[in-house]
Amino acid sequence: MAVHLPIAPDEIRARVDRDVRRAVRRGRNGLRYAAGTSRPAVGCTPKDVIWKRDKAELWRYRSDRRAYAPPVVVVHSLVSRSYVLDLHPNNSAVKQLLAQGLDMMLLDWGVADAVEACNGLETYADDYIPRAIEAAREAAGTEDVTVLGYCFGGVLSLLSCARHPEMPVRNLIAMATPVDFDGMQAMTGFVRRGRLGPGEMLDETGNVPPEAVENAFRLLRPTAEASQYATLWQNLWNDEFVDGYQAMAQWTRDHVPFPGVAFGQTAQGLVRENGLLTGTLRLAGEPVDLGRITVPFLNVMAEHDTIVPVAAARPATGLVGSAEADQLCLKAGHVGLVASRTAAKVTLPRIAEWIKQHSDRTEPEPSEE
Amino acid sequence: MASSPPLWRRAFDAIERPLGDALASGGRSETFADAVSLGLHLRRRVEREVERRTRRALHMVNLPAASDVRGLTKQVTELQRQVRALSHELEEARAGRDG
Repeated sequence: MAVHLPIAPDEIRARVDRDVRRAVRRGRNGLRYAAGTSRPAVGCTPKDVIWKRDKAELWRYRSDRRAYAPPVVVVHSLVSRSYVLDLHPNNSAVKQLLAQGLDMMLLDWGVADAVEACNGLETYADDYIPRAIEAAREAAGTEDVTVLGYCFGGVLSLLSCARHPEMPVRNLIAMATPVDFDGMQAMTGFVRRGRLGPGEMLDETGNVPPEAVENAFRLLRPTAEASQYATLWQNLWNDEFVDGYQAMAQWTRDHVPFPGVAFGQTAQGLVRENGLLTGTLRLAGEPVDLGRITVPFLNVMAEHDTIVPVAAARPATGLVGSAEADQLCLKAGHVGLVASRTAAKVTLPRIAEWIKQHSDRTEPEPSEE
Repeated sequence: MASSPPLWRRAFDAIERPLGDALASGGRSETFADAVSLGLHLRRRVEREVERRTRRALHMVNLPAASDVRGLTKQVTELQRQVRALSHELEEARAGRDG
């Protein structure tokens, strides 16, 4: 009598074969992960330092097909490492934008120590950013640049462009950039409520230590780490996933100190007084008016951002004085905007498209045959 | 079509999601903020007291304490800032002469 199995024998063999192979890979990857022998290289896209002042450096990424001008200068945040934008060869925002023919540059702040503790927001807005933009323009041989500020780098870019409208900036893009700090309750609660003065959060170097920044992020979702480990276990057989996971895990535990004076100004002027939204923020004794920004502006927000929720970022579009102020609200999280599969498929192509529409093509369009 | 997550993962998520929400909302509560700020103030006070006593003991046997090292570090930092300011001035003077 013939026995009818619910699954065909070939399929059973294929499943067993797949599960055995996965188990072997899971064991191998698990051992490598535990031993820490397979740390992925991060920030690998080849680049040159084209400008340097103190710890700030401007990098220009190498490319053999720069098809658009002016260059795009990415201004990074003060609290995290900039390699999130060039995380892994398979997950690199910089590489993606280079592939679109853009001339990519990145302004990296380095790691602040006691010497940088006295850096105020004006140090970045009035000194480093204008000089870096000038250097970028000179290196690329263009009249101006496109500035793309990410997270707190977006705040610095807004401050700089508002205080120096004469800067050679053709377009300004703010990505996941908070302007209404009332919309960032989860991140700013301790400082806002006044239980801790900004001075109480500083360490002996005069900066906010990276652990404090990391703990603030951790409070947003205390079980996130456990959830990430579960996802790792589930995908431990997948070499590509493990590489990407390790790069991201390394970045999320790799914060940098926040310069003390800039933190104090942020806590008082931006968080407690919500100065960017109310227009009460003053730097070096002068009011900051975002309405002085008149260049084409793009506000990129992430729908699932828990760090800078849409409510905190959206008002920027109405605050700038640009006749052309666009906004993009994309289905991604804060980091997912620049480092994820969604970034590669949706967010970065849309941002690149906007930049290209607001740039000059420097090489002829490839002919359609 | 993406396969559904394994049973263990579904069980994990069923626990993690509500637990994560509860912990996150607890982390945003006034009580938690009060507890953390109280804890930090207490820790600072204890650290100051320990430092005061150990400094006295170390100075008694003519050894430098952490606070002495901190003082020196501050002076070095100040010197570094001055050097930085001078090199900026020099850079600008050079740029002015060349340009």
